[in-house]
Amino acid sequence: MRKWTGIFAALMALMFAVSTAQAGKLEDIKAKGKLVAGIKDSQQPFGFVDEKTKDIVGFEIDIVKYIADQMGVKLELKPVTSATRIPLLTQGEVDIVAATMTHQKQRESQVDFSITYFMTGQRLLVKKGGDIKSAKDLAGKKVGSAKGSTSEQNMKKAEPDCTVVSFETYPEAFLALKQGKVEAVTTDEAILVGIKYSDDNPDNWDIVGDYISAEPYGLGVVQNDSKFRNYVNQTLMKMWETGEYQKVYAKWFGKDTKNYIPLTWKMELWP
Amino acid sequence: MHWNVIANNLTYLLVGAYPHGELGGLAMTILMALGGIFGAFWLGLVFGLMRLSKKRWLYLPALAYIEIIRGTPLLMLIFWFYFLAPVLWGRSLPGHQSALISLIIFTSAYIAEIVRAGVLGLPKGQMEAARGTGLSRMRAMRHVILPQALFNMVPSFVNQFVSLTKDTSLAFIIGVNELTKAATQVNNRTMVAPTEIFITIALLYFVICYVLTAFSRRLEKKIMRYQARQR
Repeated sequence: MRKWTGIFAALMALMFAVSTAQAGKLEDIKAKGKLVAGIKDSQQPFGFVDEKTKDIVGFEIDIVKYIADQMGVKLELKPVTSATRIPLLTQGEVDIVAATMTHQKQRESQVDFSITYFMTGQRLLVKKGGDIKSAKDLAGKKVGSAKGSTSEQNMKKAEPDCTVVSFETYPEAFLALKQGKVEAVTTDEAILVGIKYSDDNPDNWDIVGDYISAEPYGLGVVQNDSKFRNYVNQTLMKMWETGEYQKVYAKWFGKDTKNYIPLTWKMELWP
Repeated sequence: MHWNVIANNLTYLLVGAYPHGELGGLAMTILMALGGIFGAFWLGLVFGLMRLSKKRWLYLPALAYIEIIRGTPLLMLIFWFYFLAPVLWGRSLPGHQSALISLIIFTSAYIAEIVRAGVLGLPKGQMEAARGTGLSRMRAMRHVILPQALFNMVPSFVNQFVSLTKDTSLAFIIGVNELTKAATQVNNRTMVAPTEIFITIALLYFVICYVLTAFSRRLEKKIMRYQARQR
């Protein structure tokens, strides 16, 4: 079904890409006084509903909040799904998309991307102490995934002789791993870490192997509006240079969180 | 087992972020189901009667509508309409309204066929006798045929309405915060309790569908008594 929604999304984006020739998104946003951001509402810790306050919070929400603050406008959050985020952007329903979207070449034909604001890669979650140390060890075995065709293709490329079983969401894939239906779960490391530490016994699980693929997340912006894209890029760099980015990163991925991932990459900074 | 996950998130599953934020969860599912049932019934009745008409300009559009809608997957209809609506109206509709209209459009095509079957299922003599008393075709339909036919349609209606209630879960594709979406949110955040969460929402879906069928059984009994007295 995910494959289908992908096809729909591409179709819709193509159909309406023509109808929205924007004239200056930056002025547009300032005139209406709010930045409408398409975000995820069920992807911990990027964008999710807080259990107590029931507000949408997360790493990506803090990123777009910073951009809105820099612009001096209000922030409006609009939950999107993987299927709707690109068409909503091309239609002009949202001004910016911060929804765990990997900067892919094939997406460049529909939307533009900012510089990378989060770097992750596809790896493997396995039972600790097992035989599986890398993708090669999965020959002839089953691997669970939840991200649909791209994770599947990447995995197949890394080890052609394995069977990829796609689940609707990550918790189901993890359940299958626990029940021994699959030998490993593969997806972006940032998500694997979240799965691992949400278990009652995180020490039973290990994230292993090299990056099967790189997954740089970029903010999606409408195509052919370099003024707005420049503004977003420069704001991201400013966020990094002032240390605000690192603060936000530590809040969601720091040592004390259940998504601990050391900050090992550097944002692309222009002189 | 992690039943505490359910306990901690029960209000979110039931009403979403309401009253602090937007309504969602089971309450949204019920509202969409009720709105869908109401809208689909009347729209379906109109299309069903149009389909029964002998006038070409009435039955041909109805036939085309029914065939096109029945030949489209609901998931696709919901998705397309969400992006088509802003083009048609010039302004965007919130996801839940867009999904509700799609559900009404989709179900009304099936209701129209149920109406047609119900009316055709009555003996021809009913219409002939009614016309014989001097009633116009319209009035004969309204006062003689439909009251009998609609009763016969109740089981099929209930079938369709139960199906519609469960179909509201498809609205999650455009991000409507109904029960399935709320469950996915909780599931993706807590990670450890997919079984518990999905058992809970299966139960909740069963309860609302059971209430619907129980209500229809009572309705049928009531009409049966009423009809028996008339005979």
